[in-house]
Amino acid sequence: MAQIVGYTAKLLRAYTRDWVALFFGFFFPLIFMSLFGILNFGSFGHVAMGIVDNANNADSQAFRAGLAKIATLQVTSGSSEDELAALQKGDRDIVLVMPADFRIAPARPGSAVPTLTVYENQGRGEQVAVGSAILTQVIDQMSFGVTQTAPVVATKREAVQGRNLKYVDFLTPGIVGMTIMQLGIAGVMFTFVVDRQRGVIRRIMATPLSRRNYMAAHVLERLILAILQVLILVAVAVFAFKVNIVGSLPLVLLITLLGSGMFLCFGFAVSAFVTTENQAPAIMQLVTLPQMFLSGVFFSRDAVPAFLKPVSDALPLTFLNDALRQVSTAGAGILDIRADLIGIVVWAAITFFIAFRFFKLET
Amino acid sequence: MAAIVSVRDLTKHYGQLKAVDGVSFDVAQGEVFALLGPNGAGKTTTVEILEGLRHADSGTAVVAGIDVTKDPSGVKERIGVQLQSSAFPENFLAREIVELFALFYKRKVDAMALLRAVGLEDKAKQKSEKLSGGQRQRLSIAVAMVNEPQVLFLDEPTTGLDPQARRNLWELIRDIRKRGTTVFLTTHYLDEAEVLCDRVAIMDSGRIIAQDTPRALIESLLARGFSKPMLQQQANLEDVFLDVTGHALREE
Repeated sequence: MAQIVGYTAKLLRAYTRDWVALFFGFFFPLIFMSLFGILNFGSFGHVAMGIVDNANNADSQAFRAGLAKIATLQVTSGSSEDELAALQKGDRDIVLVMPADFRIAPARPGSAVPTLTVYENQGRGEQVAVGSAILTQVIDQMSFGVTQTAPVVATKREAVQGRNLKYVDFLTPGIVGMTIMQLGIAGVMFTFVVDRQRGVIRRIMATPLSRRNYMAAHVLERLILAILQVLILVAVAVFAFKVNIVGSLPLVLLITLLGSGMFLCFGFAVSAFVTTENQAPAIMQLVTLPQMFLSGVFFSRDAVPAFLKPVSDALPLTFLNDALRQVSTAGAGILDIRADLIGIVVWAAITFFIAFRFFKLET
Repeated sequence: MAAIVSVRDLTKHYGQLKAVDGVSFDVAQGEVFALLGPNGAGKTTTVEILEGLRHADSGTAVVAGIDVTKDPSGVKERIGVQLQSSAFPENFLAREIVELFALFYKRKVDAMALLRAVGLEDKAKQKSEKLSGGQRQRLSIAVAMVNEPQVLFLDEPTTGLDPQARRNLWELIRDIRKRGTTVFLTTHYLDEAEVLCDRVAIMDSGRIIAQDTPRALIESLLARGFSKPMLQQQANLEDVFLDVTGHALREE
């Protein structure tokens, strides 16, 4: 045990001198997050809502003011022609037309209530869905206010999340997941394939060090690096980008450990079939790129085309990202994400079996 | 003198190829012994069996009191090795490499003393991959000594070194021998075997075809009537090279 810990400590010390590994392991994800965070590239959290106020009375102004207070909405007002043209150009996600008879008053039996017409941008389904949901909630709250009845369903918590979810909030767990994947797969592939080819492992195995202790030290090193990396990412996200981690941090770290373990097994399984240093970068891209785009790192998986959906659903990073994101953005507990955790464990088991069967320390 | 390495009828096949085909020899305690032979003769396979890195098909090989055919990992505690085409992990300083390998033997060592013994004291804080070829070979000998081995195995230690570095390594090997460690080496350089070794064995196609002291082997060849055109030359090109460039070790 002392040997494993001592070896791990020496590996970590050597890692701090490896500038390339440090760059890709630590700075690269931070750059990614900063870039996407600053550009607000996904503009996920904003719904561009145009309002055409044909009534322009006290009630309609109050209603508009209520909508304008919601951070998720970027509200603009204008004439019917202008707003609908903007919608067609894609500058609006949703356009709301308020009738001339708009008023906020209890409906009398038999008389019609004012009808709001909503035009939706079909290319921006997600934003339309969020915008409509917010609109419905605002109307419901107004109705309750007017009719003086208590809401029959508490919707407050949903509303808070909907309003506060910025793009970086969505992005951070994705970057964390991606980093865990990179550290796991790249770490294993580059270390073991290169060391195997250069004869480093052969030299070490000429000492009494057991294979078990050798593997244990390397796996322990990777797990510690993953935890450190995730802590740094989360710290930067929280302090620099004001990301709100809704769920529990220990649970995030637990998921990190599980995900790391899964991707280490995945890395060993893939490395079993990589024989030279030159193959490693190509194989690395082959297994990580699809996951970066199909597992919801930068964008919601809703954007994945239907025919790729089954693939996307089954990818290891999808389970990891979903688990991290649900905890981070929705405050999910361990039981809420059990399906994802099972997915991670199943992937870990499959790849562990492949690695155990095919991975060789020496050629 | 007692034999510290004792090999009897050792064989190893790779498919149809008999890499080692019934090899027997002894190495006496405290001597420098070389296994010579052309490429593909089976030298490295033989050495790797003795080092516990490969399993023999049949025969026995006792190294430092341990039968490596029965306990290949047990022998690793008692020997030091330098392997052909192997490398140290990257991003470790020379001193850390020594300490790392000591940890693999669960030993505490004075890394600086080991580095001093191979003349690498001033390179202690340099990354091992930044060392020159000769320095790296000396580092690998320092590493091979961390467990105070009874037998030191060196597989082609001087291949690729310049004449100065080669001579420097010969000195080091003589020092190690003086301290009582048996040295078992393989080499392609016959001049090296001649000046360095107490005894040599010549191997070809998996068999030992001659073994004795270099002097005795030469005498027996001459006794069989061998002669070559005598060229009375008091120096050779290497002597010229060393005369004009000096014996001092070069920084690469």
